[in-house]
Amino acid sequence: MDTNSNPRKHYQRFHVLHRILHIIIIVNFTFLAITGFLLYFSGFGWAGFWVSVMGGAGILGRVHRFCAVFLYMGILTHVSWLFYYKIVLKQKLSGPDSILPGKKDIKDMYQNLRYVFNKGTPPLFDRYSYLQKVDYWAVMLGMQTMGITGLMMWFPEAFTGIFPGYFINIAAHFHFHEAVLAVMYIGLVHMSDTHLVPDIFPMEKTIFTGKIEKKRFMEDHPEEWKRQQMMKD
Amino acid sequence: MNSKRILSILAGAALLIFMAALNNTPAVAANHPGLKAATLVAEPAPEPLVCINCHRAPNINTNEGVIASRAFCYDCHRKPETKKRVGTNDISLQVTPAMFDKNQPRHRFIACINCHTDVARSPHKTKTGATCLECHNRHSEGTAHAPHLRVSCQACHFKSEFVRLDPKDHRVKLSHTNYDSVPISLSDHSPSDAADENTCKKCHFKKNPVGAPAAVLPSKSALCILCHNSPLAMGAPVFGLAGLIFLAGIFIMLSFWFKGSVKGEETSLHRKISLSSESIWNTVFSKQFFTLIKIFILDIVFQRRILKESVSRWSMHSLIFTAIMLRMGLALFTAIGFYFNPGSEWMTALVDKNYWFTALANDFLGLLILSGIIWAVVKRFIIKPDHVVTEYQDNIALVILGSLVGLGFVLEGARILVTGIPADIAAYSFAGYMVSKVFSFFPFDWASVYPLLWYAHGAVAAVFIAYLPFGKMRHIFNTPLTYFIEAVDGVKNEKRV
Repeated sequence: MDTNSNPRKHYQRFHVLHRILHIIIIVNFTFLAITGFLLYFSGFGWAGFWVSVMGGAGILGRVHRFCAVFLYMGILTHVSWLFYYKIVLKQKLSGPDSILPGKKDIKDMYQNLRYVFNKGTPPLFDRYSYLQKVDYWAVMLGMQTMGITGLMMWFPEAFTGIFPGYFINIAAHFHFHEAVLAVMYIGLVHMSDTHLVPDIFPMEKTIFTGKIEKKRFMEDHPEEWKRQQMMKD
Repeated sequence: MNSKRILSILAGAALLIFMAALNNTPAVAANHPGLKAATLVAEPAPEPLVCINCHRAPNINTNEGVIASRAFCYDCHRKPETKKRVGTNDISLQVTPAMFDKNQPRHRFIACINCHTDVARSPHKTKTGATCLECHNRHSEGTAHAPHLRVSCQACHFKSEFVRLDPKDHRVKLSHTNYDSVPISLSDHSPSDAADENTCKKCHFKKNPVGAPAAVLPSKSALCILCHNSPLAMGAPVFGLAGLIFLAGIFIMLSFWFKGSVKGEETSLHRKISLSSESIWNTVFSKQFFTLIKIFILDIVFQRRILKESVSRWSMHSLIFTAIMLRMGLALFTAIGFYFNPGSEWMTALVDKNYWFTALANDFLGLLILSGIIWAVVKRFIIKPDHVVTEYQDNIALVILGSLVGLGFVLEGARILVTGIPADIAAYSFAGYMVSKVFSFFPFDWASVYPLLWYAHGAVAAVFIAYLPFGKMRHIFNTPLTYFIEAVDGVKNEKRV
């Protein structure tokens, strides 16, 4: 999983599948945000203009639902990868390599906060830092809320058979506010956390190339680096 | 200051209440039994005819407007004596609110004039009938494919079982008479269960008056996208089987590719897949991508390597290949465009097989495929040049493809003949129209023959799809891949696969 033809320079961090899934998320998330917000704000002149440029609310709605299904298929692919990882490759889903939140993350968060106020050393991250874990779980859980509330608005006849009618209105509110949250989170936290870090600026390429430089590996994920060296020896 | 203000407000309120009390509105009257009796006893003087009393435009986008508008229609139509005299028969035009709400529960809060758009006028009659497409979209290809574009919504979705072919616009509509020419009433608005196949049988029976095939046929399959606009469904089970065989063939092909070693990895399939996908990723996201694009355009789309070998081979192959690709492009464009914009007139026109552009393009491209196949057959079996070595696999491919396209034209001719499309529309499907003219000399019951032809074409198509990854046609997948690998790894280096 680690070495490539030139082990001294770069290390493999992400499989092709995960890079493809990330690109699927980027593209569909962008389209979903554009079409969704244009539809939500279609009462305003500027949004109305762009809706008409893109072919009308009907088409925008269809594009929105198409992208939603496409994105959710990406999520399902990821979940089936997790099963494959556990059952076929017989790897552990928990442990230090895991994306599951653990005690170390709270410690890291506290240590990082202290470091920001110039007290002590920066935390030594493992394979995923706590912010990366938040990135992952924000999408993973956010997509479930978006999916469920979106389905409720898509098939109100089916859902009002189970729930009272005002659940559709509640779903609409959840859907919009979760969307605002997601776009704000991606636009502000995720972008600045990955791309605007001085060492990395202008662009973090690891998720696109799948490889991480040795220097950055040692600096950003020292615990994982240490473990890999120990495994080799 | 403050007390002055309070006083003035109180005075204003008192004045308002006083004036409101003076204003004897109907609402006030209704709440006072004594007043009501007084007004009801007195015979109201006949009101002068004011235009706006009838010719008004309630806002039917509001519930109030809908109720007001419907009340106006029900004023006459709820009475049993609302009738229309046709010949010697009286046809009831009675529509009661209870009946309508029971039969059309989804349209309970829709004004009559929302659908019957042109009735609110003088003389009180309609030219367009009820319009559905103002609110609803057309079905996609699966439910109602191209020939059903000429069928009005009501013909399927209403319970009345009598249909007719309107000679004026050549559309299938609900008939105002039964098949014994006795006028019938359609005013009950009762819908049919369109998912039930028996509903289809009100047109699809032998000797039907509207030019429908005598049997209910399944929809096209997603596999048909190679040549036709098609739904994202399996259609008949035979297509499902063909699709499964196709997928199995692709799977066998892929597992054969991964049998060898990949970059030194001999055993682990997981490592083989991750190594090869890694190298594909690295190729696509590098400068070599432009080489791949170049090869795709020159060697795959324009078939440069075959052209270098021989012009006649290239022409023959391109006639088949390019025409199929163009038909597939048109079909994909139509399917995707119609999915995203079903209300668009352009997309509806593209779905319509009788629209001049679609008819011309499909007939022309179909003829190109057919001529390419005939050329190949002539070359292999009649001219027999020395360098052409005919294997039995080539013959199988030619037979399947040839009968597929041939049956396609036969089917088109039968369709034009059965549906009786007027010559000025059908002429654009020039080949199919000629076939239909030839067929018209044979006194078969073409409406009964058509389903057989359809199943024949469908069966050959299923065989074609299932055969793709096995025989000669496997070159569709292998050859482009070989070209790409050669370009990336250098000529004749087959390390990766």
